[in-house]
Amino acid sequence: MKDDSIRSQAPGRRSAAKYVLLDAALVVVIGAVFAFAANRVSPRGLALTRNYFPAGTGRLVSATPPAAGLHNAAGTNSLPVDPTQLLAAELKEKGLQLVDGTQAVQLFHDPRFKQNTVVFVDARDEQHYREGHIPGAYEFDPYRPEKYFDTVLPVCQAAEQIVVYCNGGDCDDSETAAILLRDVGIPGPKLLVYGGGITEWTTNGLPVEIGGRNSGDVRKPGK
Amino acid sequence: MNTGQPNTKRIALNLSAVLVRWLLGAAFLYTGLSKALHPVDFLKLLRQYDLVQSYWLLNSIAAALPWFEIFCGLLLLAGIAVRGAALTLTAMLVPFTVLVFHRALAIQSALGIAFCAVKFDCGCGTGVEFICHKLLENFLLILMLGWLLAGHGRQFSLRFDLIKSKSR
Repeated sequence: MKDDSIRSQAPGRRSAAKYVLLDAALVVVIGAVFAFAANRVSPRGLALTRNYFPAGTGRLVSATPPAAGLHNAAGTNSLPVDPTQLLAAELKEKGLQLVDGTQAVQLFHDPRFKQNTVVFVDARDEQHYREGHIPGAYEFDPYRPEKYFDTVLPVCQAAEQIVVYCNGGDCDDSETAAILLRDVGIPGPKLLVYGGGITEWTTNGLPVEIGGRNSGDVRKPGK
Repeated sequence: MNTGQPNTKRIALNLSAVLVRWLLGAAFLYTGLSKALHPVDFLKLLRQYDLVQSYWLLNSIAAALPWFEIFCGLLLLAGIAVRGAALTLTAMLVPFTVLVFHRALAIQSALGIAFCAVKFDCGCGTGVEFICHKLLENFLLILMLGWLLAGHGRQFSLRFDLIKSKSR
C-alpha cells in the first residue's frame, strides 16, 4: 500500500518540479531584464563596453608593507614578499615608474609644483577625493574618466611630471589611471605612480586638502 | 486533549518559514544594494576570480548581478515566485561559494597560514570576512533556500508559485 502511494506521488512531484523550474526560468528572464535596465538607469551604472582595467589582471600584493604583521590597511591578508620591488617591476614593464614617499614629498615641495609643471593626480572616487586629497591634486577617477578628461588632459599635457596616486596598499587605481593617461597620449616617462598613496601620505602627517581642488581647507591629518 | 499541540507546532513551523523567507529576502536585498551602490568596487572584486577573459562579459556580470539579487530579494520579501527565486539564488550561490573556497585555498597556499585565518573581501557585499565564517554563512543561506524550495513559507505570500500546478 505504502509503495503504491509513493509511486502515485512520483508523477505529481515531477510535475511540481517542472513548475518550479518554469518559475525559476521566468525569474531569470524577468530578473535579467530588470537588472540590465536598472544598471542603465542608475547614475552609478557600469558601461558594459568599456575596458575598466586597461592594465590587465589585478595586483595581489600591496605597494606598502603591512603595518601590523599579516594584514594590510584593507584587512585582507598580504603576501610575505617585498611588494615594493614587485610593484616597481610590474610598473616598469608597462613603461611607468614607481616613486616612494620621500620622492613624492620632494616633488610636492618642488618649485615646479607651484607652476603646474609637476602635478599630482588623485585616482580615487569623488567621495574619497573630497574627504581629503594631497593639496592641489587633480581629481581623476579612472572608472569615470569622461568626467575629468576636459580638466586633467590639458594639465597633464603641459606638465613635466605627473604623480598619480590612490589609497596605497592593494589599490591599483593609480596604475589604472596612469595607463589610461598613457593610452590617451601622455608620455609614459612623465607618469609616476606613488605606491604608498594617500594612506602613507597621511600616516606621515602630511597635509591634506578637504573638498574641491584649491578649496583652501588644508589640514594636518587628525586635526 | 492533545489535539491543539500538532496545530501549534504547525503554526510555529509556518511562521518560522515565513521569517526565514523575510530574512533571506532582506539579506539579498542588503547585499545586492551594497554592490549596486558601488558597482566599480564590485567589478574590481569580481576581477580577482579570473572568471572570464572578456571585459564586457565581466562588466555585464558586475552590472547585472547586484540588481538581480535585489530583484530576488524583493520577490522573497513579497512572496512572489518564492521557489523559483530560491532555486535561482541557490544556483548562483553554490558555484560562487565554490569559487570563494578556491580563492581562499590559493591565498592560504600563497601565505602558508591556517585556512580559517584567511580573510578577504569576496565581493559578497559584506566586506572583508574570515573564510570559515563566510563559508558557514553561505552554507546556512543554502540550507534556508532549500527549505523554501521544499515549499515552506507560503503564509503572507502574494503569489508563492508564479505558474500554478494543475494538480493543486
